[in-house]
Amino acid sequence: MTIPPTEPGNIVLQARDVRFDWSEVPLHWIPGDPVATHLINVLHLLLPAGEEWFVRVFKEAVPHIRDDRLREDVLGFIGQEAVHASSHDQVLDHFLAQGLDVRPFVRQVEFLFEGLLGDRNLTGTRGQAWLYERISLIAAIEHFTGVLGDWILNATALDEAGAHPTMLDLLRWHGAEEVEHRHVAHDLFMHLDGSYPARLRAMAETITALTALWRRGHRFLMAADPIVQGRIKGGLHHVRRTGAAGLTPGGRMVAASIGRYLRRSYSPLNEGSTSQALAYLASSPAARAALR
Amino acid sequence: MTPSQIPPDLRGRRARDPFWVAASALFNGIQRVRSLRTPVLPPVTPVDRTLTTVVREVRQEAEDVVGLRLAAPDGRALPAWQPGCHLDVRLPSGRRRQYSLCGDPADRRTYRIAVRRLPHGAGGSLEAHALAEGDLLTVSEPRNAFPFLPRDRYLFLAGGIGITPLLPMVQAARRLGADWRLVYTGRTRASLPFLDELPADRVEIRTDDDHGVPDCAELLTRAPAADAAIYCCGPAPMIDGVRAAFAPHGPATLHFERFAPAPVVDGRPFEIELRRRGVTLRVPADRTALDVLTEYDPAVAHSCRQGFCGTCRVGLLAGDADRRHPGDTDPDSLLVCVSRASGGRLVLDM
Repeated sequence: MTIPPTEPGNIVLQARDVRFDWSEVPLHWIPGDPVATHLINVLHLLLPAGEEWFVRVFKEAVPHIRDDRLREDVLGFIGQEAVHASSHDQVLDHFLAQGLDVRPFVRQVEFLFEGLLGDRNLTGTRGQAWLYERISLIAAIEHFTGVLGDWILNATALDEAGAHPTMLDLLRWHGAEEVEHRHVAHDLFMHLDGSYPARLRAMAETITALTALWRRGHRFLMAADPIVQGRIKGGLHHVRRTGAAGLTPGGRMVAASIGRYLRRSYSPLNEGSTSQALAYLASSPAARAALR
Repeated sequence: MTPSQIPPDLRGRRARDPFWVAASALFNGIQRVRSLRTPVLPPVTPVDRTLTTVVREVRQEAEDVVGLRLAAPDGRALPAWQPGCHLDVRLPSGRRRQYSLCGDPADRRTYRIAVRRLPHGAGGSLEAHALAEGDLLTVSEPRNAFPFLPRDRYLFLAGGIGITPLLPMVQAARRLGADWRLVYTGRTRASLPFLDELPADRVEIRTDDDHGVPDCAELLTRAPAADAAIYCCGPAPMIDGVRAAFAPHGPATLHFERFAPAPVVDGRPFEIELRRRGVTLRVPADRTALDVLTEYDPAVAHSCRQGFCGTCRVGLLAGDADRRHPGDTDPDSLLVCVSRASGGRLVLDM
């Protein structure tokens, strides 16, 4: 892998103490487009429970690491993910205050991460294998968060559509940190296990789960939205329009990235640009509010 | 209902959502079939990130400042680095100190660091000053906590030895053809290293003996344009002053190295008992419980060291806590990176 001379490497990952003020953000933060708004809002339903799960699994992994630099990276990753989870959690409170009750869906997401993917009280080799299994899933999920992070940093169509700046800042701050730490989960999996079949299995499970959750989440939000009141039915077929308009990621872009992931030579560092992510973080209003 | 039970459906019609009944059956089935075989786990290969280097050159760069050139003993190429990178240097006594790389990133055979002698410091700088040509020194691979980003305009603000990470940035800005200025502050001219390596036309030297102590708001006015990237490195009061004077809503961006977290203020020594491990550790007045814990076990989970990320939260079984972050409100746990004991001993669930 070659890094262009201006691309910074060897980055020390540090959590940023961000602040957001949600009071002015409307329910349909892409004006007049509840369909695209809720396609992205599914993220807010998945991330708090999902990222808290990342943190728990990675904390469990730290004692197994035999590489000082990877340990530092993993600890930085954990801090960033913990702040992401709590920031998206605030958005859920804001939804509730606007009459969009997301609790039934969040309850299901919690079942996924705390029940199905939670601690199975296994010990010894079986406990360690279950830990590695979950790390392989996180590495596959982090491929998508990195790709989505790169997408949102370049999604000028959202600015043109008048998307609310606070929501854009949350998504881009988060996306930029995902790009910044995009190599960590893959590095951790390769350090501890590294099995190619396990990577394939994790990617297959992740694609299945994410597709189902996104479809169900969008249908749920469109039905529960107090303004839409179920007049438009949700579902992934909407991505044909929103993807082409640049308001959400498109199917082709995601499919191409999966193709790259499946290569044995896959390196997350070839997805997205660290310097673009760091440049956004230097100018992000929320990250700058925390500088003070 | 606990999160591990199958949840009700989304419209509240059924107590167990059929989707999750099916998903659980499928996923648990896969796990059950796979568990028929005892898992075989590959051994984890330890990775050594340290480099043994030899001191090739010691040069007096200013009053109290030595520059050290380090190279691999066999002269081969060293890991690449970018402006803003530092090395973690393990001094002969075992002390670890971080020093910014201040040489040329294109020179792949040597690393250069510079150290100011602090007679009243903790002793690391005195040790570094005692190094001689030919001595061996163990260092980490370069790491970057102060990344330099390509922009059109820059203002560099250096305070004394804080010039070290900025020196390669200035050279990179020149190579990029950017519009840049450097304001270099310090006590006296004789105390400022590397003056001979800086082009005079874009550099302003501002010493306390000639100009008095600098005003940080005034330093920021030296930017070549309103949208400049400002890179600042110097003593903590200078960085704090620049941060306070910087207008956060303007087009400019501010970059500084986030070193160790703020020092412990009004700390009292206390003890932490790790109940499950059966160990008691002493925390001195000037250190945090997390510092002591990570020294005891580097795998203790932690991250921001400032209280906001919550990673280091551990169960508190007994003791009076002196809570030092607004997010540390749960009476049964403690953020060990900032919070302390109001006296005596804390019993932690670890």
